[in-house]
Amino acid sequence: MRAPLAPPTTALVAEVVDLHVGFTRNGRQVEAVRGLDLQVRAGEVLGLVGESGSGKSVLSLALLGLLPEASQPRTRGVVRVAGIDMLTASPQVRRQVRRDTLGAVFQDPMTSLNPTMRIGRQVAEAAGSGAEALRLLRAVGIPDPERRLGSFPHELSGGLRQRVMIAMAVAGHPALVVADEPTTALDVTVQAQVLALVRRLRDDIGCSVLLITHDLGVAAQVADRVAVMYAGRLAEVGPTAAVLQAPSHPYTVGLMKSRLSLTTDRHRPVQALRGGAPDPADVPPGCGYAPRCPLAMDPCSQTVPDPLPVGTSAHLRACLAEPSRVQDLALTAAPVTAATAVPAQRVDAGWAARVGGIEKTFRVKAGRGRKATLSALRRVSLDVREGESVAIVGESGSGKSTLLRVLAGLEQHERGEVELGRGGRPQMVFQDAGASLTPWLTVGELLDERLRTEGLPRQERRTRALAALAKVGLPEAVYGARASELSGGQRQRVALARATVVPPEVLLCDEPTSALDVSLAATVLNLVQQLRRELGMAVVFVTHDLSVARIVADRIAVMYLGRIVELGDAEEVIRSPKHPYTKALLAAVPDFGVAPPALKGEPASPLSPPTGCAFHPRCPLAVPDCAQPSLDVGLERLRVGADLLLDADSRRVACIRPKEL
Amino acid sequence: MAVAEAYVPTAAPPARRDRAVRAARGRLDWLAVGLLVLVTLVALAAPLLAPHGPLDPVGTPTAAPGTEGFLLGSDSVGRDILSRVLYGLRSSWLAALAVVTFGLLFGGLVGLVAGARGGWVDTLLMRLTDGFLALPAPVVAIAVVAALGPGLLNTLLAVSLVWWPFYARILRGEIRTLAARPHVEAARLAGTGGVRIALKHLLPGAIPAAVVTASLDIGTLVLTLASLSFLGLGQSAPAPELGADAARNLSYLLQNWWIPVMPGIAVALLSLAANVAGDGVRNLMSGR
Repeated sequence: MRAPLAPPTTALVAEVVDLHVGFTRNGRQVEAVRGLDLQVRAGEVLGLVGESGSGKSVLSLALLGLLPEASQPRTRGVVRVAGIDMLTASPQVRRQVRRDTLGAVFQDPMTSLNPTMRIGRQVAEAAGSGAEALRLLRAVGIPDPERRLGSFPHELSGGLRQRVMIAMAVAGHPALVVADEPTTALDVTVQAQVLALVRRLRDDIGCSVLLITHDLGVAAQVADRVAVMYAGRLAEVGPTAAVLQAPSHPYTVGLMKSRLSLTTDRHRPVQALRGGAPDPADVPPGCGYAPRCPLAMDPCSQTVPDPLPVGTSAHLRACLAEPSRVQDLALTAAPVTAATAVPAQRVDAGWAARVGGIEKTFRVKAGRGRKATLSALRRVSLDVREGESVAIVGESGSGKSTLLRVLAGLEQHERGEVELGRGGRPQMVFQDAGASLTPWLTVGELLDERLRTEGLPRQERRTRALAALAKVGLPEAVYGARASELSGGQRQRVALARATVVPPEVLLCDEPTSALDVSLAATVLNLVQQLRRELGMAVVFVTHDLSVARIVADRIAVMYLGRIVELGDAEEVIRSPKHPYTKALLAAVPDFGVAPPALKGEPASPLSPPTGCAFHPRCPLAVPDCAQPSLDVGLERLRVGADLLLDADSRRVACIRPKEL
Repeated sequence: MAVAEAYVPTAAPPARRDRAVRAARGRLDWLAVGLLVLVTLVALAAPLLAPHGPLDPVGTPTAAPGTEGFLLGSDSVGRDILSRVLYGLRSSWLAALAVVTFGLLFGGLVGLVAGARGGWVDTLLMRLTDGFLALPAPVVAIAVVAALGPGLLNTLLAVSLVWWPFYARILRGEIRTLAARPHVEAARLAGTGGVRIALKHLLPGAIPAAVVTASLDIGTLVLTLASLSFLGLGQSAPAPELGADAARNLSYLLQNWWIPVMPGIAVALLSLAANVAGDGVRNLMSGR
């Protein structure tokens, strides 16, 4: 039984009581939220964590009174904001509450801002006056705000756009800002800045923030309290420190363990959650997490657990298992087996692929019919040894994907050389695996096509294709399925099977996990590692995430604006980064702990990279020499005089001030 | 206003219509397509269904509909109008199908090659297409008939000449859009050859657009062909043709109205059926 409705308290800015939200989607009944209680207190940052399909975005729309009418939502319960029930109030009253009490920040500021309206007018519309708009833009840290008032949204970078959205959200001093994945589309260094801004605004204005995110690390960084959602219900809620130190729900434990950090054990497979999230149209009776839960008992599949206090009254969890068993679960680690150990580097290995001094430019439209030249790659050299795994790390615009595409032969470079080893053409796994599978062909046809180039007879092709599917952990039934019938994780597995059904010498991976939920990402990373070991391939793995790079790679190359600025052994680079940019990237990785020092500024546009060392405008070590147009920084061993500074012979850094690194 | 009202992302396309209405609509679409299939069958079976030969004077001239066993009456020389309409339906309808099929095949091929190859091949083929697209259909028809003489085949030739460029352009546009998608790059990386990519990874994605265009087009084509024969650019007399029969007998409109009107109604119904079926095909293929 549920507690009777508590009278509205002044200490609560929003209260959700026993909320149920259902939709009809393609003729099926979808239960997005299934009985949720949550309070947002005055002045707190509440982090709401969940994977896709957990119902967290539906909850945010319910809070804003914006549940899409077209989807015919069926609601039950109470969502009280400023004393008004946002589920039953008239549209006019709901709009009044939004205007006076609420602010909203959505994931993609480009679609949330009006593309035909200047920033100044849009912010002024929310703020009430031009002067207030200017003050807000300054408050959210937009450089040169007077000039920006006259810009259109497309003229701003992603980080600046999100700052504009935040300025509009806090206009009129709302009591609660609902931020739905506000940093997911941003680069790590920019994400760190925006998170710091959210926290600072809370301190300055005193508003509450409901920060919705799929990343427990992001929530951990800025939230006072963390609520974990699973299958439309609350799994666990409590003060951030309590939840992180003593996670009391198996799902929270699973999330924490499958999340990669800079200290994750590289020599064990990443801990993945079993199975996938439940279909919201067919949620199992009982605890929604039971089918994936390592602690599941018989009653779990019948009884829906309610959130009950654990330890302190502020820390609630919805789980039938004893807390001690959950704690034990948090402590166990996957065993190291011969099959999971990272292979030792072969010293005598030849190279599988090498690029020498390549340059690549794109002609792009620069507006008003003019053309501009974008330097995507500027004299990049990299050797990949046989069986080696190299991660290319960088933010958007760094040229990391272009480098991969040049290696794949999908782009023609202008200068320099690309040499491939005996193995011939590399194979590639794309970021959006679904889009890389031809929608009207079956998985079987796609695999068969790849094998056909080897000239195998029909029957053997089929056998090999089924073996490849088995290798990536897919059942035989997938052979006859099309991409649209598969889940996101299955598509990425199919993409891997297609790339490795004829083992290539080099496997190229373009952010294969960035679009996947944490638990799925972990299984895909494990799979890449496993295939690499079994097939002896070299892997070039492009990612923006250093913690992913550290897990998958023997060596890491850090790129900034078309150049490699640091190259070295993965563990070494993470443990003692030398280049100021590598240091900044590492500091920006969100993790359970204190907010990191943010790197100033955003990556410059590759259309007009800064002269000299492209990083100098953001670099804490920059001296006037760094901006010399004649300066051409290349990767060098670190030495002062004749002495090598690092014991690791392989480390190279592109910086003219090695002594200070 | 702290929440921007107009730019809030909404979930999923509106699913207003409930399932029963949608299912009923789906049945109507199938019905329309079924009607067109029926018309095709009737056209093909004209010799079996027609009570008399289309050229044979079998009764009293200008007999009214329903008299003397003539369901639709007889014309000025005593021929059965029903038989002439059935045979006329056959030539009009099959001619329209022939032109659309030629357009789909030839125009589609040009569009596929242009879109899949790109570069100078694309430029060359599309400029050529533009050239044909600039030709006015009736003028070309008159020129062809003037050069080769009147006749069904010559009319078809003339109309086909100006009809295929539409399909070339539509196919080419679809193929270009598809060619920019990652699955084509993935296929190329898998070592798939250019022809196979064009046929397996590009063409199937463009077919729905082409079929929808063709099905909507066929009604227009029926009318165009009828107009041409109305202008005397079709088969020569006494061959049965709906447009020509309506035109030649226009002078009987006041005394024996059924002689020009019956073939006219047949054209109107045929065009209507084709258009409704075209809409049906579009709805069914867009997977509502």
